Amino acid sequence: MSTFIIQVNGTAYGDSAAFHALKFTEAAIQAGHSILRVFFYQDGVFNSSSLLAPASDEFNIHQAWVELARQHRLELVNCVSAALRRGLLSAAEAREQGLAHWNVSEPVVMGGLGELVTGMVKADRLVCF
Amino acid sequence: MKKLCVVFRHGPHGTAHGREALDLAMLAASFELEVSLLFCDEGVLHLLQGQEPEKIGCRDYIATFKALPFYDVEIQLVCKQSLADYGLSKAALEEELQILDAAAITAHLKSVDEVVVY
Repeated sequence: MSTFIIQVNGTAYGDSAAFHALKFTEAAIQAGHSILRVFFYQDGVFNSSSLLAPASDEFNIHQAWVELARQHRLELVNCVSAALRRGLLSAAEAREQGLAHWNVSEPVVMGGLGELVTGMVKADRLVCF
Repeated sequence: MKKLCVVFRHGPHGTAHGREALDLAMLAASFELEVSLLFCDEGVLHLLQGQEPEKIGCRDYIATFKALPFYDVEIQLVCKQSLADYGLSKAALEEELQILDAAAITAHLKSVDEVVVY
């Protein structure tokens, strides 16, 4: 059994990369592998928006990540600088920036690229989507 | 420590791929991973001299490539075929670079632990 770190660079809608990342993560867990963390970078940070609101018969990838994380105690981490540039903020950052709204909340946490790199060191394999 | 190769496949400025790849490369080097950069396809355009990205509202992250030796990122590889595709010669480029053919690139990618493509 192996330990994976998953990097998601693909955005939440209009690109299949994040969906493949989600399915890979599910399959790896089912097969008994462990997932050190899922790290959202580049446009992947859009997956962390709790304000995604697709039509009721469409797939909500944010919700799917949140459910998977809650079921399996999966760590979901945003690259904070990639997120802030794209308007993805936690309550703490919204306060710091004097902004009225925020869209990133538990279980997604804000972190640094260091968490991706330390994850690469610890995990057997990095898989990027 | 693990070896990481960061591959630049997109041109600079038109997207954030190159800038975010460089951020990751420097961060990984500061965590003491052995980092190499590979420029191929449109990514070779990062290496052209005299870029002025401020004119299109972009930060000049190309200047930051000059800081790489301070982060101990010594290996910068360029795909020979991509240079030819874009009509570039070594004289047009910024850095001390190793120009490699496909077989040598394959050998390099096999020699590292992880490859990230931007």
